[in-house]
Amino acid sequence: MRLMRALALAASTLVLATVAEAQGLISNVPRHETLIVENPEGTIKNAGWFNYWSVNAGGRSTGLQQLALDTFWYIDPDRGIDGVWDNSLASEPPKYNADFTEMTVKLRKGIYWSDGVEFTAADVVYTIDTHLKTNGLFWSAPVQINVAAVEAPDPYTVVFKLKKPNSRFHALFTVRWNAMWMMPKHVFEKAGDPLKFDFNPPVTLGPYVLHAYDSNGKWFIWRKREDWRRTTVARFGEPGPKYVAYVDPGPPDKRVIAQLNHELDIIHDVAPEGMFTLAKQSKTSKAWFDGFPYAHPDPTLPAVLFNHQHEIFQNRDVRWALALLIDIKAVSMASYRGAATISAIAVPPTGSHPDYYHVPLEGWLEAFELDTGKRRIRPYDPNVGAQIAATLRPSMGDQIPKEPEKIAASFGRGWWKQDPQAAAELLERAGFKKRGNQWFTPAGEPFKIRIVVEGAPRPVMTRAGSMIAQQWQQFGIDAATELAEGTLLTRRAAGDFQAMISWSVETWGGHPDLSFFLDSWHSQFVAKPGQPQPPRNWQRWSNPELDRLIEQIRSVPFDDPRTVELGREFVKLAVREMPIIPLMAYNVFTVMDETYWTGYPSAANPYTNPVPNWANTKYMIVNLKPQQR
Amino acid sequence: MAGYGSYLLKRLGQFLLVVVVGISLTFLVTHLTPIDPVEQTIAVAAAFGSTSPEAIDMLRRSLKELYGTEGSLLEQYLRFWARVAVGDFGPSLSAFPTPVSELIGRALPWTVGLLVPATLISWLLGNLLGGLAGYWRESRSLRFAGVVAMGLHPIPYYIVAFVLLVLFGYVWPVLPLSGGHRMNLEPGFTLAFLSSVLEHSILPALSLILVGVGGWFMGMRALVSNVVNEDYVVYAELAGVDERRILTAYVMRNAIVPQVTGLAMSLGAIFNGAIITEQVFGYPGIGKLLIDGVHAGDYSLVLGVATVSIVAVATAVLIIDLLYPLLDPRVKVG
Repeated sequence: MRLMRALALAASTLVLATVAEAQGLISNVPRHETLIVENPEGTIKNAGWFNYWSVNAGGRSTGLQQLALDTFWYIDPDRGIDGVWDNSLASEPPKYNADFTEMTVKLRKGIYWSDGVEFTAADVVYTIDTHLKTNGLFWSAPVQINVAAVEAPDPYTVVFKLKKPNSRFHALFTVRWNAMWMMPKHVFEKAGDPLKFDFNPPVTLGPYVLHAYDSNGKWFIWRKREDWRRTTVARFGEPGPKYVAYVDPGPPDKRVIAQLNHELDIIHDVAPEGMFTLAKQSKTSKAWFDGFPYAHPDPTLPAVLFNHQHEIFQNRDVRWALALLIDIKAVSMASYRGAATISAIAVPPTGSHPDYYHVPLEGWLEAFELDTGKRRIRPYDPNVGAQIAATLRPSMGDQIPKEPEKIAASFGRGWWKQDPQAAAELLERAGFKKRGNQWFTPAGEPFKIRIVVEGAPRPVMTRAGSMIAQQWQQFGIDAATELAEGTLLTRRAAGDFQAMISWSVETWGGHPDLSFFLDSWHSQFVAKPGQPQPPRNWQRWSNPELDRLIEQIRSVPFDDPRTVELGREFVKLAVREMPIIPLMAYNVFTVMDETYWTGYPSAANPYTNPVPNWANTKYMIVNLKPQQR
Repeated sequence: MAGYGSYLLKRLGQFLLVVVVGISLTFLVTHLTPIDPVEQTIAVAAAFGSTSPEAIDMLRRSLKELYGTEGSLLEQYLRFWARVAVGDFGPSLSAFPTPVSELIGRALPWTVGLLVPATLISWLLGNLLGGLAGYWRESRSLRFAGVVAMGLHPIPYYIVAFVLLVLFGYVWPVLPLSGGHRMNLEPGFTLAFLSSVLEHSILPALSLILVGVGGWFMGMRALVSNVVNEDYVVYAELAGVDERRILTAYVMRNAIVPQVTGLAMSLGAIFNGAIITEQVFGYPGIGKLLIDGVHAGDYSLVLGVATVSIVAVATAVLIIDLLYPLLDPRVKVG
């Protein structure tokens, strides 16, 4: 026993000595000068790899794309500091010739790489030429498909000659989360094979340089450049933090604990329950909305995706019937615990979209009639968002806004009324029959649907899928969810699903042009059954009217008001055809701690997206100020 | 000695068979999984950016060429063995072009550094306490230790780990929540770095020891309980042999043999990593690497980790098999 006591004493002494010696979260860097941010990529396997142009070889949102890289333009998913469009390395928007076969870019002067070399058109030409010559780089394919030649008539002008007309070629260099970044010619031309060069340490165009990183990929620390004034964000002021650390804080519970301990300034995302805990227990934790639903609605639209290559979903009546069986309020409660921003139309209810699409189309939606075969119904209920708010008010009290516009911004506007009678009529018209409590297909088989959900990696969407399956089941359809876990991406691309909770609609957010996702919905890209489907028309929907709309969008300039008109035509078509059932915005519970920093974006001051893995958050860094002590 | 020689050859043959079959099965499983590394890479690459469908098709072709995923399963299998024979697992598909061996080499010291001491401590503690508890069955403190061990052992590891995290990371926040060492600390043989590594390993190691010690404790107590009733122990007691000598030389020495086998297996299995420990505590190591590889469909990485693990476990069993006849004369050879 004496031996045991001695062992216990020795162990305790060792622990205490260790703790005393090794106190502190971060070494040799003042905490009050450091912003600590979650990198949702987690642990980076290949931490010492900073060559972004080599596909997925290293981390991307380790601070690399937010603080170190730069390109011509950014579109803000929200309102932007100075409008949604920002000329970053370019000094003005792109100029196309009449038939969109040539794009001219004027570059900003006085921008320098972190090693003191000036950024010029030579870097752009080198970047493009390297992608033309090398297969397998991140942007080799779009460059090789589009670019015939690139020229630099002077150090601040670049002219792209295109192989075919492309009115949206500039999108390749316009940041929405990321874009094609510029390479430092003077570094890469000495490095040999660009696929095998680690670019460590990275020579940066952004206002920070790499200070230190963990070879095990747990953390990356960036230091503000002495010459930050020679970078593009300097137009908006000095970046606040001297150091920015991107870390892997571990599972959601640990992120919450870390922020309660003020060891994590920005949580990228937590489960709704984690958000509610922080809202209750931490006075310094802030989210996008002041109160419920807290989360930032990303310009991404989770939906029920039907696989249109399954015969059963090729009938519009079936798709509409399934939509009318959904009680979106129950889905909102099950998935986001009510903190969802719903959308009845195939455009996310975020950024500028409500102003361009949801509000102007409200009257059309209310008047929209659906023929069930027995009668005409008006399926749209404009008050669903308000009903969700009313349901939550007794438990959440003052956190639930009262003003209709705030309710619409927080919870969305209307959605489709749950109408099992109309659904039954539509199914009957499609040849389905109900025997007992079970529906049967026209072929006499039980009507069976499996909804593929991701499972543990995306619990919110999984819960939405479970609730929808339950509602379809109650109606007499043999519906259930199927967990895909890590196979979801492969199955989605392979078309190995009947229905799936995922998203095929992603937009710029701040800009109304829908080509970001819509161009890929053209039937020319729909793969044959069994062949992999290119992003993003996962539902493999083909429609001649849609093709016509896409071709018209291709023919008008990006900023032309006609893009909005055509976008609205798409929305109406998608309502009539219901190729996917839109559910809600992808709400991200980004939580920001004001113990050390203030000035984070919010619904009240939506100057950018706070979700910190977006490259657009470089605009957040210049707005952060140290907390006054 | 001739008998031992043939025993040695037989065991070596079994070792090679286990390694070849194990690795081949892993190859088959990883290549039959529905996760396609090329599609995973494309999905990640295209998840956010603006990428045209034509470009994606072109990227798919390039990646297949780069990753070497072209060719039939048999061709890939033969290529794989040709590489493994010279210790090359090829490039990681999810961290291309970094070699898998480099990723494993970076993670393995952390796993070994955490799991070897934790396994040895729990083995020593569990066997020592279990042995004492089996011998001195009337001791109150040892009975209490038995209750604690039996109480902790069935609790799911995740719960124990999470309770420790909440206790020492939040309620009494004296220990770090995550990582292998403090941020911005230069790795090296300095007091600051080593103490930081030690500090970060306390919670993961403690969780492993708390859960692990119960198993060893109960096993050893049961073994000792049987041994103390053996005739030679009773005879020694009647002959007046010193109680401590009976415990160490007669009881523990005989009871420990199966526990040594268990230890060898546990040490071999270390090369699998402690997947949950590394996830919960954000500790760097080979388990996290394996999980990431599975999720990314990176079969080069999964095969690399699995091969190291299969060889390690098979080697541990081989060593024990070869030592057994020397340690325990009751085990016959030939």
